[in-house]
Amino acid sequence: MNRVAYELVVFGALLASCCTANQGAIGGDLVNSAVNRQIDLTSQLAKFTTTITLENAGKTATTSFVLAIDPTLRDRLSFIGATTKDDDAEKLSVTQTTVPGRTTDVLFRVDLRKALGAGQSTTVTVDESYTHAQTPFPAQITQAEDQLVLFKGNLHFYSPYKTVSETTTVKLASNKIESHTKTKAKVEDSSIVYGPFENVEPFSQEKLQVHYENNTPFLAVTSLLRVIEVSHWGNIAVEETYDVRHSGARLKGSFSRYDYQRQLDGRSSVKSFKTILPAAARDVYYRDEIGNISTSNLNEQDDAVELELRPRFPLFGGWKTHYYIGYNLPSYEYLYNSGDDYALHMRFVDHVYDDQVIDDITVKVILPEGSKNVDLSVPFPVDRHPDELHFTYLDTFGRPVVIAHKSNLVEQHIQEFTLKYSFQKLLLLQEPLLVVFAFYILFFTVIVYVRLDFAISKDEASESRMRMQGLLDQLQASQDKRTSLYQRYEDAIAKFKSTKDLAGFTGSRKKIDAEHKDLTTAIKELQGKLKLESTDMAEKVGELQKLDVNLKEQIVLSITLAEKVVAGKMGKQQYVDNEKVYSAKREDIMGKTETLLSSL
Amino acid sequence: MAGESNIRTALSNPAGWQSLLSFSILALAYLAAFSSRLFAVIRFESIIHEFDPWFNYRSTHHLVNYGFYNFLNWFDERAWYPLGRIVGGTVYPGLMVTAGTIHWLLNSLHITVHIRDVCVFLAPTFSGLTSIATYLLTKELWSQGAGLLAACFIAIVPGYISRSVAGSYDNEGIAIFALLFTYFLWVKSVKTGSIFWAGCTALAYFYMVSAWGGYVYIINLIPLHVFVLLLMGRFSYRIFVAYCAFFILGLVLSMQIPFVGFQPIRTSEHMASAGVFALLIAYGFLKYLHTHLSSLTKSEMRSLFVFAVAASAAAVLMAVVYLTYAGYVAPWSGRFYSLYDTGYAKIHIPIIASVSEHQPTTWVSFFFDLHVLVCTFPAGVWFCIKKINDERVFIVLYAISASYFAGVMVRLMLTLTPVVCILSAIAFSNVLERYLVDDTPKIHHIEDESEDDEEGDKRNKSKDLYDKAGKVRKIRHEPSGEPESLGGNVKTIVVMAVMMILMMFAVHCTWVTSNAYSSPSVVLASYNHDGSRNILDDFREAYYWLRQNTDDHSRVMSWWDYGYQIAGMANRTTLVDNNTWNNSHIALVGKAMSSNETRAYEIMKALDVDYVLVIFGGVIGYSGDDINKFLWMVRIAEGEHPKEIREGDYFTPQGEFRVDKAGSKTLLNCLMYKLCYYRFGEMQLDFRTPPGFDRTRNVEIGNKDISFQHMEEAYTTEHWLVRIYKVKKQDNRVRLDHTARKTDIKPKTKFTSRKSGKRKRGFIKNKMLIKKGKRPSSKNKKPSRKTSSKK
Repeated sequence: MNRVAYELVVFGALLASCCTANQGAIGGDLVNSAVNRQIDLTSQLAKFTTTITLENAGKTATTSFVLAIDPTLRDRLSFIGATTKDDDAEKLSVTQTTVPGRTTDVLFRVDLRKALGAGQSTTVTVDESYTHAQTPFPAQITQAEDQLVLFKGNLHFYSPYKTVSETTTVKLASNKIESHTKTKAKVEDSSIVYGPFENVEPFSQEKLQVHYENNTPFLAVTSLLRVIEVSHWGNIAVEETYDVRHSGARLKGSFSRYDYQRQLDGRSSVKSFKTILPAAARDVYYRDEIGNISTSNLNEQDDAVELELRPRFPLFGGWKTHYYIGYNLPSYEYLYNSGDDYALHMRFVDHVYDDQVIDDITVKVILPEGSKNVDLSVPFPVDRHPDELHFTYLDTFGRPVVIAHKSNLVEQHIQEFTLKYSFQKLLLLQEPLLVVFAFYILFFTVIVYVRLDFAISKDEASESRMRMQGLLDQLQASQDKRTSLYQRYEDAIAKFKSTKDLAGFTGSRKKIDAEHKDLTTAIKELQGKLKLESTDMAEKVGELQKLDVNLKEQIVLSITLAEKVVAGKMGKQQYVDNEKVYSAKREDIMGKTETLLSSL
Repeated sequence: MAGESNIRTALSNPAGWQSLLSFSILALAYLAAFSSRLFAVIRFESIIHEFDPWFNYRSTHHLVNYGFYNFLNWFDERAWYPLGRIVGGTVYPGLMVTAGTIHWLLNSLHITVHIRDVCVFLAPTFSGLTSIATYLLTKELWSQGAGLLAACFIAIVPGYISRSVAGSYDNEGIAIFALLFTYFLWVKSVKTGSIFWAGCTALAYFYMVSAWGGYVYIINLIPLHVFVLLLMGRFSYRIFVAYCAFFILGLVLSMQIPFVGFQPIRTSEHMASAGVFALLIAYGFLKYLHTHLSSLTKSEMRSLFVFAVAASAAAVLMAVVYLTYAGYVAPWSGRFYSLYDTGYAKIHIPIIASVSEHQPTTWVSFFFDLHVLVCTFPAGVWFCIKKINDERVFIVLYAISASYFAGVMVRLMLTLTPVVCILSAIAFSNVLERYLVDDTPKIHHIEDESEDDEEGDKRNKSKDLYDKAGKVRKIRHEPSGEPESLGGNVKTIVVMAVMMILMMFAVHCTWVTSNAYSSPSVVLASYNHDGSRNILDDFREAYYWLRQNTDDHSRVMSWWDYGYQIAGMANRTTLVDNNTWNNSHIALVGKAMSSNETRAYEIMKALDVDYVLVIFGGVIGYSGDDINKFLWMVRIAEGEHPKEIREGDYFTPQGEFRVDKAGSKTLLNCLMYKLCYYRFGEMQLDFRTPPGFDRTRNVEIGNKDISFQHMEEAYTTEHWLVRIYKVKKQDNRVRLDHTARKTDIKPKTKFTSRKSGKRKRGFIKNKMLIKKGKRPSSKNKKPSRKTSSKK
């Protein structure tokens, strides 16, 4: 009760404009000329719809009037709102107020849109919702019994003004009525009409009590945690954790599955209920601590996603369950921005089931890392808790979390909040860069590790092997070049034979000779170095050198032969025969060189 | 031009290709190992499976929430009520610490992964590591090609998958990795004889000790290896160094695990390692003496040596026997003894025999779990024996011992699987090396390589270099010696056949994994005629009901199979659980289940039981329910309470176990029967069967008129799979269930004697009539009575 009162006080404080009006007088000149109350008890809620025709019997015009909450129900008040029919059912502002002399009463001041002049009258409709106003009686029933509930209220419209005439209609969930207050009562099927009562004094109270059968689900969300995680990469993740309890008559004795399966009883138990999610909801999940709850159905419709939730077990009176559902939403539907300023526009509380009762809700909004200047505005009073930090994937200094809390909510509280904050768009790059940098460091360390030698002792054998490998590579290259020189020799000879240009031939021969000599000395040097590593190898290279000398001799012979034939000292046929022998020998030596090389 | 040639050499460099290829094959093997274990997660969800994993998960949760030291000191008052369990000291913490470390690491990097997901995916992650460890071990034993094959085999072989699917969060999941890695390091240290590798072996062994009770297998197999090497005359200082370093470090490290404690020096299971250590030291000492005593002749020396070794071996054996006899060393425990005598457990420890995974393996399951590998694995053993060396002795010993153990117990199939993979890979690799190679020179090349491996691994790295001359020479020599004329067709056919077999192996593995080993067993699935799936989530339904709608400290009695699940999912106190450390407590629960309600109520009162949970499969035909397990409860109860429970009472005179009308009266009235079938007699499942038709046993139940005096049905799940009963508190006044027998029967008409006046009173002859004054008035009388009562 204290909390409700406290919140209402906060509510009052928030609306600073009415600060002075909050502590005004009742304004005794007003008269309720006609009051028609509808008390809807068809669900677990007690919904009051009161149509008041208000008449200003005084001399001065007034801009507001005062509503009083019935003392028997004031702890259970969840929502109050007023509309007027004068201009298209517009909402009127309702603020809590106190009046000297009536400190124990909970009073609300309703501001009228237009001043009510003397003698004028207006019609105002007031909606009130009370939670847990119907108490199960008896408090414990067996599985086979029906649930009977007791509603206690005020027979009269509890008002600071005199009421000229009033009627009250109580609508019940069933026509089985155990007992009811008989004063001017008329039972019509499942509703009871009281009145009309004439000239009721202000603040008059008379007991109204109805005891009847109500098997509608008495389901209360005892606590709800709604976490909204905003990502600027286009996604809003919502996760809601529920504690649900059947607040009706407690189950007495045993639960029999056999009887329950025959559908004969357990009428007040809750088997399943429907939660309506936003139409854009994707990737919906429904779980609890021990995993997925496989008994649920998802129905996608045009304007909503209907989630039929079946708790793991049917909920009987006093039984409770705990679960969480989550889904993703595209951020473009809920997140607005201009430049670096963002506004999140989402529902503070969403639909859980029809005629829902939520005892406590905590809403947490996780904003992207680096959000600043957070400003939350909610259409009804909430407790703001100090902000927290949340760390998740790739965070370095944490994401700000905005936390708000409210108690005792009903369907009418499904309203949107606005959360404004600023966020530098450049910060969006921080996380990908972090990943890039991490991978860079990883690869760099691998490179460093592979390329550098971290051994504290020298491994002679492998080092010698590596040196040798290097030398052999050089040797291979030199040898390849040297082999190509012989091709050039042959080319030069052929050219010489066709052009008969001795000078040119000598020139090119000298050039090739010089190159050959260079390469041979280079190989000799390598041989010397190789000798340090492995004599076996050096020997092989020696063999290679010998073969090369042979080859060189052959080519020299071939050159002299060519010179002879060009000079005309030798017959063509003879030259061809000789040349054939030489080239065969060359081929042979070349082949040997190849095998030797490949064995290195 | 130089750059170009560099690229060319890099591309044609076989070593580069080889390492790239083996790296990618290993990566794929890892991926295959990981992803083939995800059937259950994809079909169902990320959930912990079966029974033991729930305890592991619960204790990991505790570790993550309260820290390492609190975990070590954790006294779990929610298990084994009223005894409790010292969890920190009775658990192998390796698994929890591994998962906790991974979780901590990820979370400190702000990767917010729930501990459940870490636990679920731990086994597949470690399976990937196992395949890499297998590769390393096989590479050390044979060749790189065989290693890659072995890695691929172990990645998908069902014998290992059966214990390591995602969600199967159990010790075996990480233990097989630890086992193979320890063996790899041991082989490495035997090969190198370096203290470094031996130290690494000891560390890996420490990890294994922390993870699984199967570490005993390592600490017996390695000494056996050393012992056999000594017998074969293969002693070398490499082995000496490796074993001594490993034994001492391993001993000290293994004693750091609280659960193991002083066992390594106090129990018979560990004595083999100490004995071999002593023997090895003695052998080394004699070798040392050998070098100094050169005066003796060679034959004298040899006989002296043999005698001394035999004497020291005998002395070690005697010492162990004496210590065991004197009580310093505990003898073999029953669990180990049952490995030698398969009938032992059935007679002496029914609780071990009652577990299905402790039954002897059938032939079918060898093929089911290993497929073609079980056929090719002897070939691998033969190859290893043919080209024997120090480390191949080890793998042969491993193969022989593991085959024996796998034959004794289904569960130990798990230790056999890796060695089967390794040896089959060796066999397959030999076949492929012979038939897959395209040209003669290359065949020699590869054969040379394998021979080189045999000689030692030193040359392995340098094979491109200076071995070539020798190889070329071999080309020249060998073609004449070896009839190497396999036709291309034969080769193609053989290779195709092998490939076919391997393909069928892969198909079989996938099929087995998907059908046999990927059920979470917490969630059941049934398929309708149109192929759509029905999920039967009764277990979680019941456990969650317990969790939400019973008092936090209420105590739940159930058969021990469900203890861990109740603790993990329902978070309620249990009387017995899957850690079957206290047989008499389990027997007490078994006794309660098999007694009639009145007797059971006394036991339940004594044990403070609030709820009783039974599993009943009669409605859906679930065969693993409590009625089918019931005989084990009776047997275990009979073991402790032979006077009150007799197994014979639960059978018909013909010796049958029946739940229908012909069943024994004791069975039809025992608590378990009543709990399972309460109100089931009214239920008609379909029109063809009578009401109360049990689908699991396909009979109409015998006792349909069940009522309870001390219990009431608290909850039954949708498919009746789990039934929970509340034990009522004792009434203030015990009500009778029948009308009270009237003892004070008064006649309706007042009896009047026909005797009248003086005749009414009987008289004794000659007795004097004495008068002793006058009776006082009633007012005076009352106070006098009060005073007398006060006295």
